[in-house]
Amino acid sequence: MSRAPDYPNASDPTLVQLAQQGDTLAFEELVARHRDKVYSRALSMMRNETDALELSQEAWIKAWQRLGQFQGESSFATWITRIVINICLDALRRQKRLHAESIEQMAEESGGVERHLPPVQVDMLAGLDRAELRARIEAGLRQLSEAHRTVLILHEFEGLEYKECAKRMGCSIGTIMSRLFYARRRLAALLAGLKEERKP
Amino acid sequence: MTRETQLKLQAWLDGELPAADAPEVERLVERDPQAAALVRELTLTRRWLAAGEVTHPVPESREFYWSQIARRLVPRDHPVSAPGRVFAAWRRWLAWLAPAAACAGLLVLWLWPRWETASRAAARPPEIETPTEEIGTYTFRSESEQMTVVWVNSL
Repeated sequence: MSRAPDYPNASDPTLVQLAQQGDTLAFEELVARHRDKVYSRALSMMRNETDALELSQEAWIKAWQRLGQFQGESSFATWITRIVINICLDALRRQKRLHAESIEQMAEESGGVERHLPPVQVDMLAGLDRAELRARIEAGLRQLSEAHRTVLILHEFEGLEYKECAKRMGCSIGTIMSRLFYARRRLAALLAGLKEERKP
Repeated sequence: MTRETQLKLQAWLDGELPAADAPEVERLVERDPQAAALVRELTLTRRWLAAGEVTHPVPESREFYWSQIARRLVPRDHPVSAPGRVFAAWRRWLAWLAPAAACAGLLVLWLWPRWETASRAAARPPEIETPTEEIGTYTFRSESEQMTVVWVNSL
């Protein structure tokens, strides 16, 4: 008689292998391990708890359906994060939130007021611990437009190259470079306190 | 500084600038204080972002969150093995082959009456026909003239 797998102590690759064979308990363990990361990514992109919850669950369902295609070329955490990113990008496209629709957003696309700000030269956040720094960054990211925040998430947090960002966001590499540049400039100004934060 | 130059500086920092353009950008950073200041700011922002993000816990219990996923999972009875993947690849091919075969079948059905008419025409008796050797009757049919001539030869 075979022993039941020790799910809590099993490695991700072992759990993936078991889940690929239809073991839902193994899949549940994977969900439990990575659900906060997946939910956080959805929340950072959607800025809405309800959307983030729903889309993160959709990502897990899609992951179950596509588990047979997972070959272990990246870690399971990276794989599931890419799935939730694609789902959020689709949702943002459906909601037309990735396009510059307002005058304010159009100004952001082209650089807006950041074009005239002097570059930040002093590290105003030096001395903050990691948790404080992350909290400041999150507050800064909340002030950015959807397009600017998304490109920063894809490039800075997910480590995607310009080409891959462009493919996922459905725009040209030039647009990505431009968005990334102004997103960084705006974020720097916000974090350095050079620009008054607007209300979310 | 032009917008293009600013984007080049950023690409240089991100390691996405073609190697051939790098010396020019390096020289610019050395001699232009504006370019150097911009590079310092971009570097600072990259350093801040490298701290990562806040992780937000799911605002639901493990059991409740899982239950909402579990009820939408389609059971997978069979393991996804290598043969399974081969079969899946075949199924992908079949998805293309089946409609292609159906189209080919319809084309054959459409062309068949035309082929049959053509083959009948080819098999049509020659213009000069001898029904029986004993009687010695010859029939000549001209399609263009819409005329048939019968010549009876007494033996």
